[in-house]
Amino acid sequence: MARDFVHHLFPRVVLAGNLRVSYTFCLGGLAFTTLLLLAISGLLLLFYYRPSAEGAFASILYLESSVFGGEYLRRLHRLSSHALLILVFLHTLRVVLTGAYRPPRQMNWVIGFTLLCLTVFEAYTGYLLPMDQLALWATRTGMELLAAAPGGELLRRLLVPDEVGGPMSLLRFYALHIALVPLAIFTLCLLHFFRIRRQKGVLPYL
Amino acid sequence: MEKFRRARRRFLQTLTLAVIGLPLWRFLAPEAPAGQAVLRLKKAEVPPDGALVFRQARVAVLRAGEDIYALSLACTHLGCTVTVTPTELVCPCHGSAFARTGEALRGPASAPLTRLRVLGEGDELVVMS
Repeated sequence: MARDFVHHLFPRVVLAGNLRVSYTFCLGGLAFTTLLLLAISGLLLLFYYRPSAEGAFASILYLESSVFGGEYLRRLHRLSSHALLILVFLHTLRVVLTGAYRPPRQMNWVIGFTLLCLTVFEAYTGYLLPMDQLALWATRTGMELLAAAPGGELLRRLLVPDEVGGPMSLLRFYALHIALVPLAIFTLCLLHFFRIRRQKGVLPYL
Repeated sequence: MEKFRRARRRFLQTLTLAVIGLPLWRFLAPEAPAGQAVLRLKKAEVPPDGALVFRQARVAVLRAGEDIYALSLACTHLGCTVTVTPTELVCPCHGSAFARTGEALRGPASAPLTRLRVLGEGDELVVMS
């Protein structure tokens, strides 16, 4: 069954022109690979991270000093998150420049744009989790920016019920970062790939 | 030919598993951070031929003559915190008893209480885990 799934994941026939690297630079594929890398390294980091205001930074110090490969994994996770943001941005830029957002692929553009926003939000929620000075103040700044936007005050109360770095807000950012947003991203990714497959990959009019 | 290829495949599979599995195991099973100070106290606080009990840290610091040593209060049977009495250390869970030096007197525990390292820093004592 797993083999069948993999067989059907890829189209039976692919146009040679669609495989030209210089057209897509494989940016979407690279972004998804980076996402998988983030999921795996993040899953391992879960074994050591403590989502409490007092314990978070200590757990990271412990991970970096006393756990085999802990520092490497954490750096991998952070570096991949930077890479993912850059790759997703470049992918979006490519789609805009090649006009791939035009009908009949407009729905996939909407899904893709939602994915871009979710990626930024995922990176933002992850930024607070180490609970060092940089994380705290950067997140506080972000929340002030949000509060200045119309309707932002409501969102802010939802995200940060106590204050940035308080026990409740940290737990909410944690839940969003490890469960809700990744779930949404992976679901939308599958939808994204399904639509590419259904619309027979890169369309021949380009 | 067929057999040779299978063997090679199995070898490569085992190798791949080992390359992924061993570091993963080492990541998930960290060594206990060695040599952390559990507690600090003044040397003069330990009464002659007496004991100081730190229930929170689960450590007793005992003095016998000039000798000062620390015992972990975790019972070697199932890990309950043992009670220090004037003559011996008794576990409230299953009745194991230990001498003041730490060795087991009555079961079910058979191993002696763990001795903790005590470092002297001037008139201060540091008990290490």
